Amino acid sequence: MFKKLIAESTGKSPWLFHINAGSCNGCDIELVSVLTPRYDAERLGFKLTGSPRHADIVVVTGPVTEQSLNRVLRSIEQVPDPKCIVTMGSCPQSGNVFRGSYSVAGPLSKYVHVDVDVAGCTPKPEAVIDGLYLATQILAQKRKEMKK
Amino acid sequence: MLAGGVMGLVLSGDLFNMFIMVEILTFAAVALTAFRNRVTGALEAAFKYLVVGCIGSTCILAGTILLYHQAHTLNLAQLSTLIAGNLDVNTVIAFVLLFIGFCTKAFIVPFHPLAADAHGAAPAPVSVLISGVLTKSGIYGIIRLAYFLFQTMNLGAMQFWLVFLGSVSMFVCVTMALAQHDFKRLLAFHSISQIGYVLAAVGLSTALGASAGLYHAMNHTLFKGLLFLTAGAVLHETGTTDLGKLGGLSKKMPWTTALFLIGAASISGIPPFNGFASKWLIYQATYEKAAETGNIGFAFVTIVALVTSTLTLASFVKVTQSVFFGQLPKECEKAKEVSFGMRFAMSILALLCILTGLFPNIVQKYLTGPAGRTLFNVSAYIDGMMGKGYAQATMGTNMPEAGNRAIEIVGVWNPVNWLMLLMIALLAICIVAIASKYDAVRENKTEKVEAKYSLFYGGEETEFSQVGGGDLFWGFKHNWRHYFSFMHDLHSGIVNDYSLWAVVALALAMVYALIVLL
Amino acid sequence: MILDALKYLAYVLIFPGFLFCFLTGLLLAGIDRKLVARMQKRVGPPILQPFYDFFKLCGKKTIVPAAANKTVFLMAPLLGLASLVVLQLFIPVFRFQIAAFSNVADMIVILYLLLIPAVSIIMGGASTGSPYAGIGLSREMVTVLACELPLVLVLLSVGRYVGTAIGAKDGISFSLSQIVGYQLEGGSLITKASLIPAAIAFLLVIPGETGNHPFDAAEAETEICEGMLAEYSGAPLGVFKLSHAIKMLTMTSLFVMLFFGGVGAGVDNLVALIGLTGGAATAVTIILDILLMFLLCVVVTAVGISLVHAVTARLKIEQIFKYYWTVVSALALLSLVLVWYGL
Repeated sequence: MFKKLIAESTGKSPWLFHINAGSCNGCDIELVSVLTPRYDAERLGFKLTGSPRHADIVVVTGPVTEQSLNRVLRSIEQVPDPKCIVTMGSCPQSGNVFRGSYSVAGPLSKYVHVDVDVAGCTPKPEAVIDGLYLATQILAQKRKEMKK
Repeated sequence: MLAGGVMGLVLSGDLFNMFIMVEILTFAAVALTAFRNRVTGALEAAFKYLVVGCIGSTCILAGTILLYHQAHTLNLAQLSTLIAGNLDVNTVIAFVLLFIGFCTKAFIVPFHPLAADAHGAAPAPVSVLISGVLTKSGIYGIIRLAYFLFQTMNLGAMQFWLVFLGSVSMFVCVTMALAQHDFKRLLAFHSISQIGYVLAAVGLSTALGASAGLYHAMNHTLFKGLLFLTAGAVLHETGTTDLGKLGGLSKKMPWTTALFLIGAASISGIPPFNGFASKWLIYQATYEKAAETGNIGFAFVTIVALVTSTLTLASFVKVTQSVFFGQLPKECEKAKEVSFGMRFAMSILALLCILTGLFPNIVQKYLTGPAGRTLFNVSAYIDGMMGKGYAQATMGTNMPEAGNRAIEIVGVWNPVNWLMLLMIALLAICIVAIASKYDAVRENKTEKVEAKYSLFYGGEETEFSQVGGGDLFWGFKHNWRHYFSFMHDLHSGIVNDYSLWAVVALALAMVYALIVLL
Repeated sequence: MILDALKYLAYVLIFPGFLFCFLTGLLLAGIDRKLVARMQKRVGPPILQPFYDFFKLCGKKTIVPAAANKTVFLMAPLLGLASLVVLQLFIPVFRFQIAAFSNVADMIVILYLLLIPAVSIIMGGASTGSPYAGIGLSREMVTVLACELPLVLVLLSVGRYVGTAIGAKDGISFSLSQIVGYQLEGGSLITKASLIPAAIAFLLVIPGETGNHPFDAAEAETEICEGMLAEYSGAPLGVFKLSHAIKMLTMTSLFVMLFFGGVGAGVDNLVALIGLTGGAATAVTIILDILLMFLLCVVVTAVGISLVHAVTARLKIEQIFKYYWTVVSALALLSLVLVWYGL
C-alpha cells in the first residue's frame, strides 16, 4: 500500500529548483509568472524550493556560461533521485543569440541528460506549464524504473 | 582545603567559626584560580577574586563583631534566641554586613564578574568545585542568616529582597552569558543565573519554594559539573575554549557531544531532565506565592523565570552550534575522543542528571522535602543545640511556629509516563521508518560522488564557513542593542570598579534594611 | 494488563496519537494551502496536496552530506515527530480525555514540550554544518524566544482565571482537563471580557510558533534556502514537513481547548436531544467532539494562519522579535493584569 501511495504521489507533487545559468532574466520572470494567480501552477502541485536537495525538477534558464557551468552541474548533482531536468527558453538548448560567444559553454545537453526542452524566447507561461507537466510524467516513469 | 572549608562551614554552629571557614575556602579558591598561572589572566582573575572576596570577608567579620558586642555570644542557636523578634539598629547593620559578605561568596549580581573571570582562568575540575560547591556555600550562608539567625523570612520586605536579587541575578547573568564568546565564561555566567533561581525560590519562604530551591541547587551541581567537564574535555583536545575557533567536534568526539547535550538540555529546562523538574517546581512556587499573597510582583518573577529558561536554551544552542556542530576548522582536526576515565566521570553525572529528572517525587520526598521543612523549624534546631525546652524558655511568645508544612503542587508532571509514551511513539515511528527504507542512503555512500555529498553553497565548491557563536541571534541582539552596550560598558574588567560596586551594593542594602526591617 | 497495554498502544498509535495526527495535521495543512490560494484568487492545490508531498518525499533518495553527523541528522526528525505526537495526547478533546494522560503533563509542561520539536529541528540543521542552517537556527531560536513571552503570559492568565473560578487551592489551575471542564460548565473562556486580549494574543502567537508565513524568517526559502532544512532530502525532509503540519494541529487545538472549550457542551445537548443513551451516546459524543474540534481547528487555521499568510509579506527577524515582545505581549499582559485584579 505504501509503495502504491508513493507511486501515486510522485507525479503529483513536483517541486522546482530554478537555476539561472547566465540568463537575461526574461525567462526567470516568466517562470515566476507561472505561479501567479493567472496561471497558478500550484494547482498541479508545483512549488518553488530554495535548495536543490528538496527539488524534483531542475529548471535551467540561460545559455550556460563558462562561469556558471560548474555551479550548474554541481547543483544538478546535488538533487536526489528521481530527478528531471527541464531547460527553459532557447538559450540552454542552442545558445540562442549568445551562440558562439567566447564565454558560452552551452548547450546544456552536452553535459547532462536533459528531459524536457521548452523552447521560445521567452516561452509562454502555457508552454512552460505544459513542459513542466510533461516533466512530472517523466518523473513518475523514472520512479518506476528506479524501483526495478 | 576548599572541601574542608565547605564542610567546616556547613557543620559549624558558631558565627566566628563560620567566618574562619569562609576565609579558608576563599583563599583555597583564590589559589586554585591562579593554579594555571602561565595562562594569561589567571593571576588577574585571582587578584580580582582576592580583592572583592576580602571585602566580603571583612563584611562578615564586621557583622560578627557587631553581633558579639551586642549579645556576647557567638553560638548560632543562642544568638538566634536573643535576636529573634527584637531587631534594633545594631543587629540590622550586622545582618546586612553578613548578608553582603555571603552574597560575594555566592556571586549574586553585583559580584558576578568575579565568577566569570575565575571560571575562565581556572582548570575545569576547579571550575566544577567553584561553581558546584563554593557558590552553594554562599547560598547556605544566606539561608542560615535569613531563616535561622535573624528569622526575618516571614517579613514581606525580606522576601521581596531575596526574590528581587534572585530574579535580577538570573536575568542579568543569562543575558551576559548570551553575549560571551568563551565556553567557560559562558558557563560561569550560567552558574550565577541558576543560583538566581535558587535564591528566588528560597526567598519565597514557602515550603514548596524552599524545597524547589534546594532541589535546583542540587541539580545545578550535577549539570554544571557535567558541562564544565565537557568544556574541560574540549579544552584538553583542542587547546582552546574560544567559541569562534571551534566547530564540528561532534564527529570527532561523539560521546562528549552526547553528554554535553544531556547537560545542556538539563540546564535549559528541557523535559524530562532534572533542570526542568526543579525549575518547574520553582515556577509553581512563585506563582502560588503570587496567588496566595495577591501580589502580582511574584507573578512577574514567574515570567522572568520562564523566559530566562528559554534564554538559557538559546545560549546553549549557540554553544552546540559553534563547538559541536557546524564545520570542523583545520586547527581542530587532530581532536579525538577523550580517554575512558574522563568519559566515565562525565557519564556518572549525566546519569544522575537523568535519574533526578525522572524521579522528582523520590528526590522531593527523601532529600529536598525534609531539608526544606527544616528551614522552617528553627526551634527544633535551637533545642537540638542547647537542650530541650531551651527555645521555649528563652523566647516565650516570640517562639516561631514550627509547623509541619506540607508541600502542595498545583500542576501535574509525570516524567516516567511521558518518557514511556515518547519511547513507544519513537519506536513506532522508527519501525515505520525502517520498514519504508528511511535510511536507504547507505548503498550510495560507497560510490563517493564528491559533488553529491558536499554541502549546498548555491553551487559553489565547498569551502570552510562556520556560523560562529558571535553571529547567532542577531534579531534578538539588535532589539536589545542598547541593553547589551550598556552591559558591555558596565563590565569594565577593572577591579576598582568591582570593589566600588560591592561598596555601593552594601550601602544600598544597608539603607533598604534600615528602612524596612526596623 | 495486556489489554491495558494494548489500549495505551492504541492511544499512542491511532487516536489521538500517530494516525490521527498524521491525517488531521496534513489535512489541516492542505486546507490552509487551499484557503491561501483562494484568498489570493488562485485555484490552489488539491486539499490532499500535503499527502502527495509527504509520500513523494518518502519515495525519494535521502542524501546525507559527507560533512554531517549522520546519527543526529537522521534521528532529529524522528525525535521531533515523536515528541509532537506525544504532546497531542495531553490535549483533551472536549469531554473525551484519557484519564491516565491528564495527570502526566499540565500547561507549563506543554509549554516546554513545545520546545523539543524546535530543538530537534535546530539540532538536525546544525548537524549538517551548512552555513544556511547556521543562519536558520539562529532565526528559529529567536522566533521561539519571541513567542515564549506572550505564550507564558497567556497561559498564566488562563491558569489564574480558571483557578479562581473553580476555587482551586491557591486559586491557580494549570491542568488542561480542569480548564476544559470548567468551560463546559461555565461557558467558553473567549466570552470572558478579561481573557479576550489573551485570546487575540494566542491567535497571533500560533503562526509564529508553527513558523508559518509572515513569521517564517527561519525557513525563508528565497533568501537562506529553507535554513535548517537546506541539506535535508527525501524521507527525513518529509518527516519535518509532517511535524510542521502536526504542529499546526497542536497549536490550533490548544487554542480551541483553551478558549472554545465550552462549545463542546452543545454536543451533549444534541446527543440528549436525539435521545441516545448508554454506549451509543458515548460513541456518538466522541465522534461529534472530534469532528467539532477539527472544524474549530479549521476555523482557527483560517483566521490565524491562512488570512495572515495571504495578506502579509514576510517580516525580518528583528521585526518578528519586536512585534511579539511589544504588541502581542502587551495584549497578553493586559489580560493578565485584568484577570489578576478580578475584572
